[in-house]
Amino acid sequence: MSSPESFDDLEARLLDLGASLDVTGPPPADVAAAVRARLAAESTPKPVPEAAPETAPETVPEAAPETAPETAPETAPETAPETAPETVPEIVPGAARERRPARRGGRRRRWTVVVAVVLAVVAVTAATPQGRAAVAAILRYAGIELRLGETPQPVVTPTTLPGERHVEPSRLGSLVGFPVRTPAALGPPAAATVGDNGRVASMFWPGGIRLDQFDGTMAPFFFKQLGPPHPQDVPLGTTTAWWIGGSHPLGYIEREDGTSVPLRQAGPTLIWQSGAVGHRLEGAGTKERAAEIAASLR
Amino acid sequence: MDDDDAIARSLAGDLSAYEALVTRYSALAHRTAAMLGAGDEADDVVQEAFVKAFRHLSSFRRDAPFRPWLLRIVANETHNLNRARGRRSDLTVRLGATAEAAAPDDPAGAAVATDRRARLLEAVRRLPERERQAVVCRYFLQLSEAETAQVLDWPLGTVKSRTHRGLARLREEVGGELA
Repeated sequence: MSSPESFDDLEARLLDLGASLDVTGPPPADVAAAVRARLAAESTPKPVPEAAPETAPETVPEAAPETAPETAPETAPETAPETAPETVPEIVPGAARERRPARRGGRRRRWTVVVAVVLAVVAVTAATPQGRAAVAAILRYAGIELRLGETPQPVVTPTTLPGERHVEPSRLGSLVGFPVRTPAALGPPAAATVGDNGRVASMFWPGGIRLDQFDGTMAPFFFKQLGPPHPQDVPLGTTTAWWIGGSHPLGYIEREDGTSVPLRQAGPTLIWQSGAVGHRLEGAGTKERAAEIAASLR
Repeated sequence: MDDDDAIARSLAGDLSAYEALVTRYSALAHRTAAMLGAGDEADDVVQEAFVKAFRHLSSFRRDAPFRPWLLRIVANETHNLNRARGRRSDLTVRLGATAEAAAPDDPAGAAVATDRRARLLEAVRRLPERERQAVVCRYFLQLSEAETAQVLDWPLGTVKSRTHRGLARLREEVGGELA
């Protein structure tokens, strides 16, 4: 009995036979294109240019690592930038014109490639003190733009959404331009807010749980800056949610001119889209619990 | 761009990087699917496997090689396909024309070589399924024992013993020709 490890004539003949077998698949480039088309159809990750775009520090607070301020829904949000008159909701599709703001030259040029691919591109203004966190890729999903790159500096001065104001939870559905649902797993929210002209509905529960619902079919409303670990996909009914496991800077992209406004340091968040509505659930603790709450939306 | 770069960029949502990875492994994936019994549906299996691999890329251990991880998904897809179709995973590949091409001056010798190959292929086809899978992975796909263990999801010892039994059976079948 010869050892299978010693290379004998039979093994040589088998290798020779294997090499002579006629197994021709389709051209690799065709397979790659077909796979890409399927992936592009089911989520919307987009390639970005090789070079990380230069980023410019904008309305950015000073660095103070390790601080991750809590969301404070109890305190009445009352930031109201001029761009957000507090009126009844408009229907978003008509309102969200993609008017591109004038950008500083170099940055804009670098992004032309992306602009050609994606209809609604918002120039990256990294919400870091240095404003230099390299962004390697951007994922747009459920009305959220994920800017993946190096681990960004945390946001230390929390800001609320443009025009965010407290409303009666029961009135929430009548104040925004899309259907609002409540997770049965959490019950009625303790508080609710409407932000940015009725484009974002937020619900709050004790323990720092926050659910934002917003029109997910349009260009991104939120951006999140992420370093490793990268988002994990979580099956959710017939769709896929993404779990962002770490604390990360959260910002808001204004409809009117695409300005990126850093909001605050967000905790682990599950994001997903259901129908035309984008969702982000923060403060649920674990990925499993978040998925459970997400699945209970009624 | 090596595999690790391509995977890192794919994880960050760069589909071009993933496309490069698919291009790199497409032929091997196809060969694996065909040889593990996907038959005419190897194209579908391969496409599905690459889509699944992308979805599960975050669970891929970056310090491990990509090839056996991917081929395991291909093998699983092939297995699922055959189970769904209620059929055995037959080896449906055909002999190519390489023997004749390799020895144009010696048509008689080439014919003998082709005949020997055909008989060996028949013998491999008749092997019990698991022994055949082991032999296919080790010799037709030229995977190492460790890679074979990962792709077929068997313990390493099982790969060794099934390969060994398969070889022994083949020696019995075509043994006379080896002398």
